[in-house]
Amino acid sequence: MNSGVAQSPIVSISQVTKDYTLGKVVVPALRGVDLQVHPGEFISIAGPSGSGKTTLLNLIGCVDTATAGVVRVAGQDTKQLSERQLTNLRLHTIGFIFQSFNLVSVLSVFQNVEFPLLLQRKLDKVQRRERVMQLLEQVGLAHHAKHRPNELSGGQRQRVAVARALVTRPQLVLADEPTANLDSVTGQNIIDLMKELNQKEGTTFIFSTHDAKVMNHANAVVRLADGKILDRLTPAEATRAMAAGAEAH
Amino acid sequence: MGGHLRLLMQVAFRNLFTSKINLLIGGIIFFGTLLVVVGGALLDSMDDAMSRSIIGSVAGHLQVYSDESKDNLSLYGDWSGEPDLTVLDDFSRLKPVLEKHPNVKTVVPMGTSGAMITSGNTVDLTLARLRDLYKQRAQKGESPALREGIDSVKAHVQQMVALMEQQKDKSRELLSDAAVDPQETEALARARSDAFWNGFEQDPFGSLEFLENRIAPQLPDGDLLDLRYVGTDLDAFQKSFDRMEIVDGQRVPQGKRGMLMSKFFYENFLKLKSALRLDNIKQERDVNHKLIAEDPQLQRWVKENQTQTREILFQLDPIKARIATERLQKALGSQEASLEKLLSAFFTTTDENFDERYQRFYQDLAPLLELYRLRMGDPITITAFTRSGYVQSVNMRVYGTYQFKGLEKSAMAGLINLMDLMSFRDLYGYLTADRKAEIADLQKGSGLREVSRADAEESLFGEGSGNTLVADATPGLIEDSKPFEGGMGALRREDLAARVYSQDEIEKGVALSAAVILKDPEKLQQTLQELKQAGTDAGMKLRVVSWQTAAGFMGQFVLLAKMVLYFAVFIIFVVAIVIINNAMMMATLQRVREVGTMRAIGAQRSFVLSMVLVETVVLGLVFGAGGALLGSGIMAVLNSAGIPAGNEALYFFFSGPRLHPTLSAGNLLAAFVIVLVVSAISTLYPAFLATRVSPLQAMQTDE
Ligand SMILES: Nc1ncnc2c1ncn2[C@@H]1O[C@H](COP(=O)(O)OP(=O)(O)O)[C@@H](O)[C@H]1O
Ligand SMILES: [Mg+2]
Repeated sequence: MNSGVAQSPIVSISQVTKDYTLGKVVVPALRGVDLQVHPGEFISIAGPSGSGKTTLLNLIGCVDTATAGVVRVAGQDTKQLSERQLTNLRLHTIGFIFQSFNLVSVLSVFQNVEFPLLLQRKLDKVQRRERVMQLLEQVGLAHHAKHRPNELSGGQRQRVAVARALVTRPQLVLADEPTANLDSVTGQNIIDLMKELNQKEGTTFIFSTHDAKVMNHANAVVRLADGKILDRLTPAEATRAMAAGAEAH
Repeated sequence: MGGHLRLLMQVAFRNLFTSKINLLIGGIIFFGTLLVVVGGALLDSMDDAMSRSIIGSVAGHLQVYSDESKDNLSLYGDWSGEPDLTVLDDFSRLKPVLEKHPNVKTVVPMGTSGAMITSGNTVDLTLARLRDLYKQRAQKGESPALREGIDSVKAHVQQMVALMEQQKDKSRELLSDAAVDPQETEALARARSDAFWNGFEQDPFGSLEFLENRIAPQLPDGDLLDLRYVGTDLDAFQKSFDRMEIVDGQRVPQGKRGMLMSKFFYENFLKLKSALRLDNIKQERDVNHKLIAEDPQLQRWVKENQTQTREILFQLDPIKARIATERLQKALGSQEASLEKLLSAFFTTTDENFDERYQRFYQDLAPLLELYRLRMGDPITITAFTRSGYVQSVNMRVYGTYQFKGLEKSAMAGLINLMDLMSFRDLYGYLTADRKAEIADLQKGSGLREVSRADAEESLFGEGSGNTLVADATPGLIEDSKPFEGGMGALRREDLAARVYSQDEIEKGVALSAAVILKDPEKLQQTLQELKQAGTDAGMKLRVVSWQTAAGFMGQFVLLAKMVLYFAVFIIFVVAIVIINNAMMMATLQRVREVGTMRAIGAQRSFVLSMVLVETVVLGLVFGAGGALLGSGIMAVLNSAGIPAGNEALYFFFSGPRLHPTLSAGNLLAAFVIVLVVSAISTLYPAFLATRVSPLQAMQTDE
């Protein structure tokens, strides 16, 4: 909605590098990345396989730490936080959507969505129920609340995952290639759903993809190549640039 | 919080049956619990039964003895024989010290010792009877009844000599001539001659002497029996050990000298061997369903009954022998004239005719025989080496046989015979200085002269007492032919047998130990310590031990059995821990992505830890409860049906022919605790590993 330039960024990354060490070989996954994401943005991180998308999202999601540089999430320097504090930050500020859904197979749809609320211990049973059902309503799975994940299709499972990511009303939702395991129509639907929630709730979304059609929904596309940010474009520019890139090769 | 735990429980319960690994772990826990419940309950029940056997027979709850003793008290004897104990000088001083303790119910003085006894050979015994009759004739003159008695016994002796010669002939066929002593043959020939028997009446005592010296020794001696006895205050003993019951005869009258023989000992060692073997065969056939046709032991007994008929033949005088022959001929439908052959045929028992022959034996033959070598009320002479090394003999009457309820078949409890404390002290031969002086005073006061030790022995070990059993640790030491020393010795002997001792006399004197029966056996250890202290306070050096210790190797045996079982359980659980640990590791590895996801979306490490632990505990409780339930069911069945002891050696451990094991809350609690501990220990490392799972592992797409 309001692109709020005046607001402080929810994610602020400066001069971040990330090296992986494989035995004696050092693999540089990110090589000096700067990025600012503001509340309410719906950002796509695009780039070919191996360009560092997942690595970047992991740093933002506080599940990994940078080799150098500063990663600030919700105003906090993640380097300064303890393991516990990072976990709490993830619990209260960030929602995760995974490429392969990652639902807890022994729990029902309802229980999967309720899970983060239970960890938060903020709401009582009635409130939790209300919140979970509201989210399931929004993702169109209210009637599947009692089902087990293995009784659902891939698209339905990812909807459950979306509901789980949003049930705590996080400021930021991260999704690493959320459509990679889905067919294109279903993938489109998921992105539409995310977009809808972004607009309704004002939640910030950062998702990675290498699919141009998916990128189109974003209000900004950050292009990544070889661990470096190439540019930050509008979807239309990005589509064009990628088409040009494809021709160039 | 509530939701939290509910979630954990839900995850745990749902995981319970979805994972094969969990089923494996559950299975181990199930059988582990079953084992602990059933094994523990059986072991406890057996321990309980065993302790009842030991406590209820001779040990009591505690045993008190002198701390100056070289060896430790061992009521059932030890590998090396009787332990060397220092006597308690005066039981009457010890008793009040112990009885002062509020938890002490009764105190019973005791002393355990043993003597070898021989059942004299049959010829000797019969000749003794004949000598007795001639002596009567010499004193009172001949009567028709006496004449008839003498003739009957004489005929019996003649019969025996005839049998001996027959056997000699038989063995001559087997042995070379050189092996046969010509003097023996000559003596036998003389005893068989008409001339000898025609001249018998001229010199009956001379003829008897010839038979005693030249014929009787040709028979091998009777059995040497090890007679173990506990000398005690018989009245106090009977009151304190309520499992004890009289089987044959009667109790020893209060304050009198006398013996109560163990029924087991009486049956197994004093019964006519042929009859005992028949009893044993019957028992094996009826109780253990063995067959003569199949079982070598039964076949051995049958064979022995066929060949070893001498014991019966010797018992029968000519009249009885004729009756027996007629009856056997009728029973077997045979014309055979030889009683020996008839007996051999009669004892040729098979599975088909056994029951009929058994019944016929007791109906037709037993009334003609002395089934036991000792009858209730017969006197018995026990000769033992005293502590100071000289030989002491004591005459006492065997008033009856007794058994401990439930332990009738147990050799362990069945080898203990009971005698009065006064006789025990005489045999033990230890007098305190005080006591010696006291006796001297008593004797002066009552006008008795001091009987010299040698005289006393002789007078105690008198002949003519009509005993059928001579217990003698040193055969041949005392010559039967030596003229009988009457007068004072006889008086004293009569005096001893008839005398009624006061409680004071019984208690004022030595004992080897004191059995203590407690009011509340639960407080055994505490009471033990307090009694030790009480002894020290009273200036007595006492050793106080529990029944378990007092039982010597028996007590250690139970302990050993328990240790072996607990060790087995321990090993099983160590194995279980290793298996469960590995299985849990696998389960954790399988769930790395799930755990990583939870961590990514905000679960703390502590949550992961409690998740794994709750899961194991739930697993343990569910399958443990299943095992406990099945175990309880099994125990309920065993309790009502009972486990048969089968082997007689087990009677002591089962405290009877069947063990009805019970399940206590303690067994279930132990199983519960063990299961929890085992599952907790085996999950600790996997749970730790689970907490180390990184949220990054949620992103791994490759499986
Ligand atoms: N755990 C890791 N260990 C070593 N190298 C890694 C690891 N994860 C990623 N990389 C390397 O870092 C680079 C960036 O990877 P990634 O962030 O997964 O790219 P993308 O998600 O865009 O495909 C790649 O060259 C990849 O091989
Ligand atoms: Mg990736």
